[in-house]
Amino acid sequence: MSTALPKPGAGGAAAAARSLPSRLMTAFSGPVGLAVKIVLLGIVNALALWAGVVLAGEGNWLAVGVLVLTTLAIDAIYLLRRGTLPLKFLIPGTIFLLAFQVVPIAYTINVAFTNYSTGHILSKSEAIEGINRNSLEPPADGKTYVMAPARDEDGELVLLLVDEADGSTFVGSPDGIEPLARETVRISPDGVIVDAHDYELVKGNALFTLDKELETYTVPTGGSSAIRPEGLEAALELKPSLRHDEAADTFTRVSDGQVFRDNGRGSFATAAGEELEPGWRTTIGLDNVRRVFQDPLVRDPFVRVFIWTLAFAVLTVGLSFFIGLFLAITLDKKIRFQRFYRTVLVVPYAIPAFLTILVWAGLLNDDFGVVNKLLHTSIPWLFDPTWAKVSVLLVALWLSFPYFFLVSLGALQSIPGELVEAARVDGAGAWQVFRKITLPLLLVAVAPLLIASFAFNFNNFNNIYLLTGGGPPSEDQSIAGATDILISYTYKLAFEAGKGQDYALAAAVSIFIFFIVATISGAAFWRSKALENVR
Amino acid sequence: MKKRIGVFGLLVALVATSALMAGTLPSAATGSGSAAAGTARTAATTIRIWADRDRKPAVTRVANQWASRRGVTVEVVEKEFGKIRDDLKTVRAENAPDVIVGAHDWTGQLAADGLVLPLFPKKASTAQVPGYALDAFSYGTTTKRLYGAPVAIENAGLVVNTRLARVPKNWADLEKQALAFKNKGDGRLAIAVQQGQDGDAYHMYPFFSGLCGYVFGKNKSGALNPKNIGLGNSKFLKNTALVDKWNRTGLINAKVNGDAARDAFLNGKAAFWVTGPWNIDTIVAKGIKFQVVQVPKIKCKSVPFLGAQGFMVTRFATTHGVTSAAKDLVSNYMLGSGPQVQLSVANGRYPANTKAGKAVKNKYLAQFGRAGQGGVPMPNIPQMGSVWSELGGAWVKATRGEGATKARAAFATAARNILNKIG
Repeated sequence: MSTALPKPGAGGAAAAARSLPSRLMTAFSGPVGLAVKIVLLGIVNALALWAGVVLAGEGNWLAVGVLVLTTLAIDAIYLLRRGTLPLKFLIPGTIFLLAFQVVPIAYTINVAFTNYSTGHILSKSEAIEGINRNSLEPPADGKTYVMAPARDEDGELVLLLVDEADGSTFVGSPDGIEPLARETVRISPDGVIVDAHDYELVKGNALFTLDKELETYTVPTGGSSAIRPEGLEAALELKPSLRHDEAADTFTRVSDGQVFRDNGRGSFATAAGEELEPGWRTTIGLDNVRRVFQDPLVRDPFVRVFIWTLAFAVLTVGLSFFIGLFLAITLDKKIRFQRFYRTVLVVPYAIPAFLTILVWAGLLNDDFGVVNKLLHTSIPWLFDPTWAKVSVLLVALWLSFPYFFLVSLGALQSIPGELVEAARVDGAGAWQVFRKITLPLLLVAVAPLLIASFAFNFNNFNNIYLLTGGGPPSEDQSIAGATDILISYTYKLAFEAGKGQDYALAAAVSIFIFFIVATISGAAFWRSKALENVR
Repeated sequence: MKKRIGVFGLLVALVATSALMAGTLPSAATGSGSAAAGTARTAATTIRIWADRDRKPAVTRVANQWASRRGVTVEVVEKEFGKIRDDLKTVRAENAPDVIVGAHDWTGQLAADGLVLPLFPKKASTAQVPGYALDAFSYGTTTKRLYGAPVAIENAGLVVNTRLARVPKNWADLEKQALAFKNKGDGRLAIAVQQGQDGDAYHMYPFFSGLCGYVFGKNKSGALNPKNIGLGNSKFLKNTALVDKWNRTGLINAKVNGDAARDAFLNGKAAFWVTGPWNIDTIVAKGIKFQVVQVPKIKCKSVPFLGAQGFMVTRFATTHGVTSAAKDLVSNYMLGSGPQVQLSVANGRYPANTKAGKAVKNKYLAQFGRAGQGGVPMPNIPQMGSVWSELGGAWVKATRGEGATKARAAFATAARNILNKIG
């Protein structure tokens, strides 16, 4: 064993210096280590400061508090010399766990209880602003004007207006509209007011500092109608079609007196269900979960899709494991060109999966694909519901067997040769050795990988979406195609059904999928523990 | 005592390094907050535009011409086309665009979300823009409002290889020529129109409208009515018997996907190709002599889907205090013929402005423009998401060759499914 490790100045740690934690500890105790530590902590603090400023800008003080406390705690843990040793090793892992696992899951769960979807993106106050803006309509005989903002002698902002229909000229102010002698205003050939007597046109950058003022500038023309500027050169008469009652939190339609109330689901709606757009994002409780069970659109194909998903994941993992294992056993023996074969077999694994899938989609085309041409067949690879399932499986196998080939190859080499020899001596045949010795020992190492691969294939969106798009269309009246698995079906539900995009429903279904995968994987892990007794 | 100084020194060092690092982070100290961003912007008014990579150069040039006249500055930010729509929902106010360049079929979604502002251009600005182009960018559940300025129109047309076939006089002529061509040899296609296993409702639309199908009917005010599904209208369903015939004769084949259709036409294995102006350069490069026409009338006029691109003003223009400038750019300047001609030349699409349309020099682009006459803008209401896969899927089921579903059943099912999905 090497003894060339430099002994640090700190006394008495020489024996422990060989273990990794101790080595790290000693590395960070010297003056150089201290400087490195300070710089690293400085980076953490700087990031926290930056995040804090951003959060404070949004007024999210709770988050700022949590951030400050966490950062101080991290500084303290790494600067204190005594009593925080276990934490020094736990903290990085914990932070990554929180950032990459807990936060996304918490966010998904949070979204599942909201109505986050098309039409429900804004906050309520922003939505009210939007409804008010949308409620402005030109009245039936509404006039349109060429407009120029100007200042009168007193420096007050007025609008110079030229009626687009008859060319008559006016000056508009918050007090109302007054006719103006036509010769007061000079209009260019392309219909823009370029000059005016008695008024000073607002020009250049001054025009843009007026933006907020112009936004709310109204020239009343009787009733609720008013002339409002539109852009910098036009104005028109507009009339609100809805009246907002802030105290009662309602909108009333002017034409028929219909009242729109907050329906608790992020919209102003009438009793009959007519809604105003835009709505806002709000918490709606268990509605999305309920939809999964009650909405026939979501519920009906669920069982069929679930069974196929399960079959797809199990078959992909099972078959690719056995193909991989078979090849690994074959190539475990000394044969000619062993290295060459091993390299070639890994190729499908080395090419980006999405590329492979797209290439396969072309190869499998029923009429024009290479596969049917080479085989002189006309198998409907992608157009028949059953064959499409076969195609999806084939491509999944192609992509995943090299992984199990590599893993099995490694695991086989770690099985002690004496065990196999001993079994041989005791009179076991090749098959018996494989079944009683090799496979159980192999499974100890590979079982967790099988479970992980199952979880991956259960949600193997790319393989389905890029190859068949979930198609061909199934004969039952549902939006799930013949090869849709739960996750691609969720995608269709959320983005290709109903009214635009329904992120909240997608989140709710994802939680279901999470529980299904977690349950199955958990059970499998529990079972695979029994395998460890083999050792 | 010595130790205490050590701890103190340690803390000073830590604070110092932290501050140093923080200084190097982007805009850490200058920070955020919409208030700060708002006031910072008034000093020199800047309009921020989101455009995709293909359109960015031309948009930058055209918008700068406007900006220099107005004395403002324009910042064009490159975004992937689809991201322009999706990121608008999640972007922080200080990074948000005032104006976006987008597709007309986003209008319903963005308006329902409350992310874009209604526009009221003056009559002089819209005089040269046809009603259907303005319609494409209009949306409303009860009353329609305009939310965008259309600058370019694109649509599919029937591209005829004039060395292999004559420009068809009518539908019967097209059918006869196409089938005769197909039967001349293996690997030939009658009409190359792309579908694939997912279907392609866009490219199939001329045949759909030719059989008197439509997607959504309209209510009294002219707004699209998502409860009126035209896939199941009786006239269309009666005509679908023709689809079964096309499937039998192989006039249309669902197994032809985008690549297969393009390869067949470019390699002389198809004389007729339903595609759009984005393929003009490819065909010209192959040296193929061709002409573009509208698909001949079948039972009704076989009009294509129209796609319009245009500019929209976002709600963030108000947050940034540049609403009037952004509206001036979009609903005043961009509707004019000058900027539209420039955009058309740069991006190879037919301009929406009719005066600009007359100035189109590229003869193929002009032919595509004529092939789009009477075309139907793709419905821009959010419910359209439920239609694409169903309509495309019905075509696939009915034209996948052997074992195809009867077209009447396929489309009737699709119509029912869409109604269920829209709910």
